[in-house]
Amino acid sequence: MITIEDLKKHEIFAEMDLTELKLLSAMAEERHAREGEELIRAGSPARTLYILQEGGLMITFPDGRAITLHKPGRVVGWSALVSPTHYTASVTCLTDSTLIAFPGSELLRLVQRNVAFGTKIMRKTSEVLSRRLPFLQEKDKRLLKQRS
Amino acid sequence: MVGFSAISAGNGWLISALGISVVFFGLASLAFIISFFPRAISWWNEHAQTPKYFFPLIRSLFVQRRRKASILTETREIHEPGEIDDAEEALRLLTAHTGEPFKLPRLIEMAEQRGLARVHSTINRLLVRGNIIGGDDGLFRWAKASGEEGPVEKKSKSPNEALSVNQASTELE
Repeated sequence: MITIEDLKKHEIFAEMDLTELKLLSAMAEERHAREGEELIRAGSPARTLYILQEGGLMITFPDGRAITLHKPGRVVGWSALVSPTHYTASVTCLTDSTLIAFPGSELLRLVQRNVAFGTKIMRKTSEVLSRRLPFLQEKDKRLLKQRS
Repeated sequence: MVGFSAISAGNGWLISALGISVVFFGLASLAFIISFFPRAISWWNEHAQTPKYFFPLIRSLFVQRRRKASILTETREIHEPGEIDDAEEALRLLTAHTGEPFKLPRLIEMAEQRGLARVHSTINRLLVRGNIIGGDDGLFRWAKASGEEGPVEKKSKSPNEALSVNQASTELE
C-alpha cells in the first residue's frame, strides 16, 4: 500500500495538498519489476503512469536512442495522460525496481473533476514532456502540438 | 479422339490418380521420417559418448560449444570489482565495432546475444560508476580512462550519492 508519506517523498507531488495526496494514495499501487523486464512497450495502449521509487530504468525511443533514470521520483508512462494514450517509448528495468503505479483512467478522471489538481499534474507532465520531446518521433511531436 | 474420351482411352485418369498417390505417399513418408528426427537426435546425444568416427567427432564439437555457451549464460550477479572490470572490457569490445557514441539498447542486445550474464544490472552499475556516460542526444559513450573506476564512485560511498553527482550524464531529467 502506498501512503501519503510515500508520495510526499517525491518532488512531483510537492505542490499537492493533503486532500489530493489522499486521493492519489487511494489509487496508487506498488509495483515490483525484475531486472530486464519490459515495463512499457512502445505503441501499446498507455494505461498506467509510473513513478520510480527504487532501481534503474532505461527509456528506449523508437530510433534506438535511450535515456536512463535512477533517481526516485522520475516519471515514466506520461502517455497515459495524453491522447491518444499510446506509449511512445519502451521502458526496461536495468535493475530490480520498485515503482508506484497509477491507473491512467482514474488519474485522468481526477484531473477532469478537479481543475486545480489537473493543472498541477499537467504542469509536471509537460515538464517531463519538454525534456523528452527531442527523442519523440515526428508524428508524436505533431500530435502533441495539435493537442496543445 | 480428343478431350475426356482421349484421356479415358489412354488410362489418363488411372495414371493421374497413381501420380497423385505416389506424391502423397512420398510426402507423407518424408513427414513421418522427419518427425523422428528430434527423437533420433536426443538418442544420439545420450548414447554417443566417445568420438570415434567422423559424425561423433562433429557431434563432440557441438557439445563443446554448448558447454561454453552454458558457462557464459550462468545467471549469478556480478559483484566483485574485477568481474565488473571484465564485463566492462567485454562491453567495450562490443562497442569497438560500432564506434562511439553508441546506442545503449543495441549494446544490451549484442551483449545478450553473446551470452553475457546479467547485462542490464552490469550496464546499470557502469552507468552509476560513471564508466558509461549518457549524452543529451540519447547516445552513450565510454569514460576516457579505460579499466579504471569512474570518478564518481571514488568520491562517494553509495550508488545514490554517486548518482547525485553523475546525474546529468545518465539522467536527462
